[in-house]
Amino acid sequence: MSENHHFLVQQVGQGDKQALAALYRAYERPVYKFIVSRLNDPHEAADILHEVFMDIWRVAASFEGRSQVRTWIFGIAYRKVIDAHRKRARVTVTDEVPETGDVAEAADAGFAAKQEAEHLRFCMGTLSDDHRSAVSLAFYEDMTCAEIAQIAGVPEGTIKSRLHHAKKLLLHCLSGRIQGRVVA
Amino acid sequence: MTRSREEIELDLPFLVNGTLDAEARAEIEALVADDARLAAERDALATIRREMQAEEVNAPGEFGLARLMRDVDRQSVRDADYRAGSETDGRRGVIAQLRSRTTLWQAVAAVAVLGIVAQSYFMRPPTSFEVNVAPAGYVLAGGEARGALVVGFAADATEAAIRDVLLDAELEIVAGPSALGLYRLDVLEGADVENAAGILRSAEGIVESVENARN
Repeated sequence: MSENHHFLVQQVGQGDKQALAALYRAYERPVYKFIVSRLNDPHEAADILHEVFMDIWRVAASFEGRSQVRTWIFGIAYRKVIDAHRKRARVTVTDEVPETGDVAEAADAGFAAKQEAEHLRFCMGTLSDDHRSAVSLAFYEDMTCAEIAQIAGVPEGTIKSRLHHAKKLLLHCLSGRIQGRVVA
Repeated sequence: MTRSREEIELDLPFLVNGTLDAEARAEIEALVADDARLAAERDALATIRREMQAEEVNAPGEFGLARLMRDVDRQSVRDADYRAGSETDGRRGVIAQLRSRTTLWQAVAAVAVLGIVAQSYFMRPPTSFEVNVAPAGYVLAGGEARGALVVGFAADATEAAIRDVLLDAELEIVAGPSALGLYRLDVLEGADVENAAGILRSAEGIVESVENARN
């Protein structure tokens, strides 16, 4: 699969539109899901997805194959969303791990049994973009720590730290919502 | 090398998504087996992962692909027109190096990015860069289309913070972002590149990397 996608990118670099279409069909859904998880705006996410594939069309000739195609494409999407945030001058929502609340209590609070997708969406929305990106790539895409670090352009330790904090924030938020508490 | 308990615990999300190697997996599984809190966290993360993967999204699908193909065609036509035009217009010989698709895109991207710093852009006198703008593209005074510095901004840097640093360093963005998220910058007329690079390097939290483009 990976070699096939490398070949597709090479073909795109030579101006092959059918190869671009094949690449689009292979990556459209996961990349769109990643983008929309960070923006919460399906329309803007569709525009950014479009920009990602236009960039692929423009720069495929310079792809040297030193990374996986998936990592390369998600890396483009990662930075496109950062640019979108910049243009909006969006303020980071949450970065501090609350002192109150017990993670073990949160984990036991019944979330596992309740399948609270709505709560999960809400709580994901309270995370900063760095945290949300790490969670999305780890759990939507089941990527390794090394892959996520390559996409975000940071050391693996930074990704582990982001996921650790994101986990605490998510469980705290979920616990608060499920138990009817107000969570800051 | 032996890892501490805290370091091993950081692998919990990757235990849940199944991407750990055998050694790391064995380490954290041993911890989870003896720690009810960790076990509860693992179960909660596994549920979160299941929920996220089960979530349906309505991707653009064939409509998105049709839009992509349409815009690719339009760009191809623009590129062809541009090449044809440049062959008949002697004035455009100076920008012949901009003919490739990639470089043309960089020129287009540069114009788009300039919009980001439009506020500062319109509040100062024209530079040599602007004076040398050609009808179908642009070149710098020395005939070079690329900036003196290649810069990466921090992911969480705001547009306002970036603009302040650029004004302070007397820099303008001339191209980018590249596929790697990097921008090419040039100093304004009369400004010093090394001084500007120093200001960028001292802007911790806003600028992540600064390289001289001509090294």
